[in-house]
Amino acid sequence: MRLLEYQAKNLFKQHGIPVPQALLVRSEEDLRGLQYPQVLKAQVLTGGRGKAGAIKVVDDFGTAASTYQKLQGMKVKNESVHAVLAEQKQSILQEYYLSLLIDKALAAPLFVASASGGMDIEDVSRENPEKILKLAIDPLLGLQVFEIRKLAFFLGLPEKELAPFMRALFEIYKAYDATLIEINPLARTDAGLLALDGKLVLDDKARFRHNDLFTQLEFEQKQNDGEGLDPSQKLAKAWEITYVPLTGDLGLVSDGAGTGMLTLDLIKDAGGFAANFCELGGLANADRMQKSLEILAENAQVKTVMVSLIGGLTRMDDMAEGIITFVRKHPNRFKLAVRMCGTKADEGRALLAECGIASGEDLVTEVSRAVALAREAAL
Amino acid sequence: MTILIDQNTRVLVQGITGSVGAFQARIMVKYGTNLVAGVTPGKGGTSFEGIPIFNDVEKATIETAPNAAICFVPAKFARDAALEVIQAAIPLLVLTTEGVPEKDMLEIMAYARLKGTRIVGPDTPGIISPGVCKLGVHPAMMYQRGTVGLVSKSGALSYEVGRVMTEAGIGQTTVVGIGGGPVWGSRQSEIVKLFFADPETQAVVMLGEVGGRMELEAAEFIKAHPEKPVVAMIVGRSAPEGAQMGHAGAIIEGHEGTAQGKIEALKAAGVHVATKPKEIPELLREIGIKA
Repeated sequence: MRLLEYQAKNLFKQHGIPVPQALLVRSEEDLRGLQYPQVLKAQVLTGGRGKAGAIKVVDDFGTAASTYQKLQGMKVKNESVHAVLAEQKQSILQEYYLSLLIDKALAAPLFVASASGGMDIEDVSRENPEKILKLAIDPLLGLQVFEIRKLAFFLGLPEKELAPFMRALFEIYKAYDATLIEINPLARTDAGLLALDGKLVLDDKARFRHNDLFTQLEFEQKQNDGEGLDPSQKLAKAWEITYVPLTGDLGLVSDGAGTGMLTLDLIKDAGGFAANFCELGGLANADRMQKSLEILAENAQVKTVMVSLIGGLTRMDDMAEGIITFVRKHPNRFKLAVRMCGTKADEGRALLAECGIASGEDLVTEVSRAVALAREAAL
Repeated sequence: MTILIDQNTRVLVQGITGSVGAFQARIMVKYGTNLVAGVTPGKGGTSFEGIPIFNDVEKATIETAPNAAICFVPAKFARDAALEVIQAAIPLLVLTTEGVPEKDMLEIMAYARLKGTRIVGPDTPGIISPGVCKLGVHPAMMYQRGTVGLVSKSGALSYEVGRVMTEAGIGQTTVVGIGGGPVWGSRQSEIVKLFFADPETQAVVMLGEVGGRMELEAAEFIKAHPEKPVVAMIVGRSAPEGAQMGHAGAIIEGHEGTAQGKIEALKAAGVHVATKPKEIPELLREIGIKA
């Protein structure tokens, strides 16, 4: 789960990271009585806010009020603005970059730091890799003093000033299962180091440990919840079925992620256009099969569906039952191409045949059949 | 020979009395895998299909000397279960559990490195050496004994390709599912390395997907050690950027992790790249693997 800037900064503050004095603006009136200049920052989850014009410096109440209205109504890469944060403008001596993330290849928490802050760290990494220091921390030992010292020397900052930031980042990683905590820029001001921006991603898989926090953060983001989701996505979210919308007209359901991606590739190779990626996972039952077809049925574009099944853990007689239940409920909604093999495939295919649903064992053949059916439907 | 497991593998099952654990344990026993102990806290002293159950891994280890473990414990308890196996110095753990938090995986792996336990998984169908031993949930009918090593991120894709190979008469020495990520106990390059060291394995099939840079790592390894022919297939060529394609690790971020980039790197390393499963046995035949 990705946090909004102000949510991240709230956690920063709780762990002793200094942030600028700020106010979450609820109405224009809130902007009265602030000490100007202020920075108004649209709160969205997508990156690149500066370039998108979603961060503005304002010098007085008048401009603040009109800018606030503009920011409130704007969209950043299709995302509506959740809220607007007003922060005291800082005079910056230097900008640094500091983050802690889970490095998947090293399987370790990794500090990334640079004295070239304020810009896209990936650009720095590409153009001036020597300006970045990466420091992997032993997950069992945790952060050590010599590691703080190493980073402080690299950045040219006093160890005493940097230490609380690094300790706080490591604490947040440990306490909340953060997979990314980023301060960019980390600014040196006359008043010391300050986190001017904050990015935080929590591990959804660790929700069971932090349910209250997740619920609270989601509640705060909720004013836009479901916005931008199409009806299929909403159903998929409610039923916890993997669903990725694409732009074509051929629906796809698979019983595995890898085989789903393979089928997607084969559809493209056969000249077809998939409408979605939808995957049931390895232990699906009839109910989930039926539900996945219900999800696809929400998309009016889709008149043909490719069902791609390789029964490993899933039983094909179960899958057939799910397909048949859907077809009985919505006769003629879809033309179906069903690829079915593996566990109980003969039973499953016999059940389908009884209901007049054609199926085959060969993936490539069924994909071409699906693509041809979709093409017919489009005529 | 096989890799990781063989006829001498003695298996401890964590969560043997749970619904999935019990179901899969029965299938493994039927396949001929030697299950020597089950662990379910609170059920110590009882047994499951004649297999003794213990309250903790240490006692089970002292009494039954397992040399491999398989974990069917839910994500919430997976860290604890894995650390218990590692502390008992069991050299191999197959972690089938899906949805293990990333921080937990980092701790599990750091401890495993320290104590010398190999982790396969999480979110994995495990390992099968056809006709010899099955440590996981692979459907046995997809495979047959042979001379090709198969390593895959996706479970279903390994069944798919295993089946196509088997139908073409090409069998496998061992099939290893390394799991859907995004943090892996064993990486593709490590498994490829084991296959290269196995005298019976004549060629390796590697199945990968979009996301991360593990396939690039494997390509680098193969390029530096061109010891055996490798055939690969990378799925997700048509996956959109930024979308999570079912597996935790299958997400294209910026330029990183595209199928095309991986395919190019593998080709540059001399790997034969297939675009559909049927091409895999054909490519294997071209490089001299006989049915």
